[in-house]
Amino acid sequence: HEGRSLAPGCHLHPFNVTIRSDRRGTCKGAHLVHACVGYCESSAFPSRYSVLLASNFTHNITSASRCCTISRDAKVRSKFAWTAPEGATNEEMEILTARACRCDMCRKSRY
Amino acid sequence: MLAANLRRFVGCAVREFTFPARKPGCGSLHITTDACWGRCETWEKPVLEPPFVDSYQRVCTYNQSRLATVQLPDCQPGVEPSYTYPVALRCDCSVCVTSTTEC
Repeated sequence: HEGRSLAPGCHLHPFNVTIRSDRRGTCKGAHLVHACVGYCESSAFPSRYSVLLASNFTHNITSASRCCTISRDAKVRSKFAWTAPEGATNEEMEILTARACRCDMCRKSRY
Repeated sequence: MLAANLRRFVGCAVREFTFPARKPGCGSLHITTDACWGRCETWEKPVLEPPFVDSYQRVCTYNQSRLATVQLPDCQPGVEPSYTYPVALRCDCSVCVTSTTEC
């Protein structure tokens, strides 16, 4: 994600997805799609007593966080023409791309 | 940090935080302490293989802390008046550790 700005918020960011003709990567192509990249607010602070009680006094920190997520996506069709020693093939495939982004719940930040 | 700087701030830093310390059987006490606040880099990007979306999620949380204890006022007889809470010494963008944190 080089080239993005260090600005608060969650924004569409173009990047190239690499498509391979086979597992060995005999032929490769690139298609421009969008990701969501950004800086959303998050904080951590002492837990309320009810949280302490419910966690048997192990969770003394509470995290309130938002992460940059894809709020709307679309499938785009892309056509590829491969020219390999075995012959030429045409392939059409669907690739997901982000259409809109937003700071939303961090569903995958837990460890 | 000034309000204008906070609007543009990117990163994760120690920030003053005030909360009411209370527990059943005692009066409440407003405590001002150091906690964590910021904006960490996160992203979601489409990929060709299942689950078709790759993500990177880091949150601003305690990296280093110490415990502080205060005595709550007006506790009923038999109620332990001490209240212990974490004070942030260093904050970082990292994963939310479910063993110590309510994520």
